[in-house]
Amino acid sequence: MTIITKDISVHLTTLTLTNQRALYWKAEATLVVSDLHIGKTAHFRKAGIAIPSAVLDTDLKRLQALIDRFNVRTVLVVGDLFHAENNTDIDQFQTFIQKNASITFELIKGNHDRLKDSFYEALGISVFKTHKDVNGIRFVHDEQHCEPTVFCVSGHTHPGVTIKGRGKVFIKLPCFEVSEQRLILPAFSEFTGLNTKRTVDASVCYGFTEKSLFEL
Amino acid sequence: MKNVQDSQGYQIIADWMHEKGQKPFDFQLQTWNQYHNGYSGMVVAPTGFGKTFSVFLAVVIDYLNQPEAYKKGMKLLWVSPLRSLAKDLAKAMIIAVEEIGLDWEVEVRNGDTPQKDRRRQERLMPDVLLTTPETLHILFSQKNNSRFFKTLNCIAIDEWHELLGSKRGVLTELAVSRLLSLSPKMLIYGITATIGNLDEAQRVLIPYEHIKTKRIVAKEKKKIEIVSVLPDEIEVLPWAGHMGVKMAAKIIPIIYENNTTLIFTNTRNQSEIWYQQILKIEPDLAGQIAIHHGSIDAELRNWIEDAISDGLLRAVVCTSSLDLGVDFKPVDCVIQIGSPKGIARFMQRAGRSGHSPYETSKIYFVPTHSLELIEAAALKQAVKDKRIEAREPMVLTFDVLIQYMVSLAVGEGFNEKELFAAVQKVHAFHYMTEEDWHWALHFITEGGNTLKSYEEYHKVIIDDDGLYKVKSRRIAMLHRMNIGAIVSDAMLKVKFFSGGYIGMVEEYFISKLKPNDHFILAGRVLEIVTIKDMTVLVKRSKRKSAVTPSWLGGRLPLSSYLSQYLREKLSESLHPKTTEKELKFLHPLISQQEKHSHIPEKDEFLIELIETKDGHHVFMYPFEGRLVHEVMAALIAYRLSLIKPLTFTIAMNDYGFELLSDQSIPIDEHTIKTILSKENLMEHVIGSINASEMASRKFRDIAVISGLVVQSQPGNRKNNKSLQSSSGLIFRVLEDYEPQNLLLRQAYTEVFNQQLEEVRLKEAFERISKSKLILKFAKSFSPLSFPIKVDSLRQSLTSEDLDARIRRIRDEVMKQTQI
Repeated sequence: MTIITKDISVHLTTLTLTNQRALYWKAEATLVVSDLHIGKTAHFRKAGIAIPSAVLDTDLKRLQALIDRFNVRTVLVVGDLFHAENNTDIDQFQTFIQKNASITFELIKGNHDRLKDSFYEALGISVFKTHKDVNGIRFVHDEQHCEPTVFCVSGHTHPGVTIKGRGKVFIKLPCFEVSEQRLILPAFSEFTGLNTKRTVDASVCYGFTEKSLFEL
Repeated sequence: MKNVQDSQGYQIIADWMHEKGQKPFDFQLQTWNQYHNGYSGMVVAPTGFGKTFSVFLAVVIDYLNQPEAYKKGMKLLWVSPLRSLAKDLAKAMIIAVEEIGLDWEVEVRNGDTPQKDRRRQERLMPDVLLTTPETLHILFSQKNNSRFFKTLNCIAIDEWHELLGSKRGVLTELAVSRLLSLSPKMLIYGITATIGNLDEAQRVLIPYEHIKTKRIVAKEKKKIEIVSVLPDEIEVLPWAGHMGVKMAAKIIPIIYENNTTLIFTNTRNQSEIWYQQILKIEPDLAGQIAIHHGSIDAELRNWIEDAISDGLLRAVVCTSSLDLGVDFKPVDCVIQIGSPKGIARFMQRAGRSGHSPYETSKIYFVPTHSLELIEAAALKQAVKDKRIEAREPMVLTFDVLIQYMVSLAVGEGFNEKELFAAVQKVHAFHYMTEEDWHWALHFITEGGNTLKSYEEYHKVIIDDDGLYKVKSRRIAMLHRMNIGAIVSDAMLKVKFFSGGYIGMVEEYFISKLKPNDHFILAGRVLEIVTIKDMTVLVKRSKRKSAVTPSWLGGRLPLSSYLSQYLREKLSESLHPKTTEKELKFLHPLISQQEKHSHIPEKDEFLIELIETKDGHHVFMYPFEGRLVHEVMAALIAYRLSLIKPLTFTIAMNDYGFELLSDQSIPIDEHTIKTILSKENLMEHVIGSINASEMASRKFRDIAVISGLVVQSQPGNRKNNKSLQSSSGLIFRVLEDYEPQNLLLRQAYTEVFNQQLEEVRLKEAFERISKSKLILKFAKSFSPLSFPIKVDSLRQSLTSEDLDARIRRIRDEVMKQTQI
């Protein structure tokens, strides 16, 4: 796995975008991710839809690599950590948390996070209901909790971009959507769809692949 | 052999018919006789000659002769591909049963059947049940369903040619297999129109060696009269779509000359445009003309169908949505707009008029550009020669197999060994290996052949009695909702803000529009108010024009039979017979082509190299249809790029394709042989296309049918929201983590068989390799190349620029060639 980074300046600080679906904030030693949807594959399997559980293995391996690379103190999940009910995938995530005991896990609850707060706390995750403000930057799941004048980092929409090739060929890539006051994170889990409609006006997209990260 | 005419039952039916002033057709009598002697088989007869009564009355006669052989409950199961068809057949059967004086119940069961009727049927099945393959499989998924079918004496598959060749055909094959295991003595009858592979069609439906079969072919033939509607003047440089407006004016008198006219177009989009166009030219037709296609609300469609039956409409613009189905007595004229792309389809459409026996079916052919007149000549020849396309049955469709296995597991459960033995006898799964079977078993019980078994995956479990069963109510419910092999695109319902459904549009189309935008559906100009819960709320608009939705997958491929006739007619076109008025009419165009390029003979293959301001063009004319050309063009581009690195723009139509480059293209007498070689064909094809991308698209249907994607119904609130995922996503995940998955392999096979048409592609290159290659250099577009050029322009420009630009190109050509 190759981690490609790109620094962008916002609100007097530097945020590092990576091609591994995460954002790193060096000043706070915080790794920001969104839409992990842990438990989605197990939830599908429970309903009789056979999705390989290796998807989660890969997601967690990637998260571990990011933690190791950036000297992370805090992992901040801006919503949709768990996809649905408590299931075997979540047990696997619990093991992951235990392995990273020195790291603080924080969650801003998303629309999918419908389990009780006490459940998250028992796993060692601090819960924020709608948002968390850190040094002038607001972190939310869904844009509706942003303030017009405050720089706001969110998730929820699973942003993606379409790149047209020759003829009728086109590919879709996940991306970071960035504007003057907003930053929308790509979904961290590979088992998520892409939304290629822009939610923010006048935004710049940073699309990425396994080996590159580029502005579009 | 016993003769049915000696029987009492026959006498009763013959008397009944005699009273009505009717006499059985020979093929009906034959069918009754075969049935009387315990044969299964297939009845081949044109529409309008009482196909239904051949098999239906055979069962009635047999019942009258030996009522003791029939048990209480379902005696005859009638499977038809269309709901509306079943409704109409049931009406006719009920009348017959009453007049004959039988105490039989004849009922329909499908998705529209009210709950209370279903419950009643489940207590005691009617003597005759009319249903669809899908509903039959839903019945298989009910508890205790085998008792419904144990009394069965006969199963009839109506319009078998429509089912054969699709996954619904495989559903039917499996259903026959199951019913045979419940009622081993039942007789099996297929009823079909003429197709190119009748032997195979019969073998697919009845692959059982122990069953005696006979085929009954009606001698009665439908007479078809084909009339080409010629434009006033010929466009020497034709282009698709252009003639539309002028030709619309030509069909108005035809509409007025007849009682009811069906106007067939090839796409839903085209039907909306023609409907608007006809009304614009002849506003007096308002209220007497309707539009009918698959994306119009079912209720509205039913209303239109009733209105046709009652003779209230002068004309209906429609798509293949009216190819099949109820016989509309008042219809006395059919118009085909543009190429029908296949001989069978054309004849079927023609047959929609003049429905009573011995009446002539009249069909007008309206070309949308002048070259299509060659197609009219080709169709006439094909109809004369009675060359009709084959319907290729589908095989090894694991998605359908998995759905069937789960249906049985939801219903009564199945014994693995018995089911394997039964399924292997079904035509579609003759070549399934034991290994494949075990994969399928693993897939439904453990989620695939992965090393790790999933604890939480309990779709199908092996019960204490050794049967494979579904125990979870939720899984059972999700599965029942998903039974069937028709996968619709992601559609949104269109509804008036004030109430009332209009129809459906694709999500893809509506995603490009915003509130207050306008579009046309069901012939009405609509304004979007808002979009919510998979429903587009609209209000009527006063505007006269707006965008017409494009429905994906609208383009039908040209059949290989028709393309063969096309090549033939083109080669004859320089010296047409006096009877061929289409070819004579086309003469100016043909001679222009011959003068500046060449008219390829049957054993020739034409390549045109043209240099214009835009760059260097190569045109080739295999006449194999758009789909095959798409692959061929990519392949030729790939082979050229092996000689010289080049970038191409590719365009094609049903007749040929174009490669355009800004640099000179290395084609000459020496290289052309290699470029068109049949050697390493498939390797180069794979090198030239993105097979994974194509397979991913094919995987959509497979994922839905096999239950990997839970479809949400348009109009409903998105239930099962947490189970929504796209098939593309699942395809990617499976490719990464479970490449040996048979459903993935099936997607690739479907790409090769259907998208790339491997067999046809190979045949085409075989033919080309035997042909004389004719290389022509030209300074301007030829009549054959011009329509392809226009099609490529259309993709990149808006319609306003397009007209201007085409006119400019045409003027330039005219100046150079001085005509």
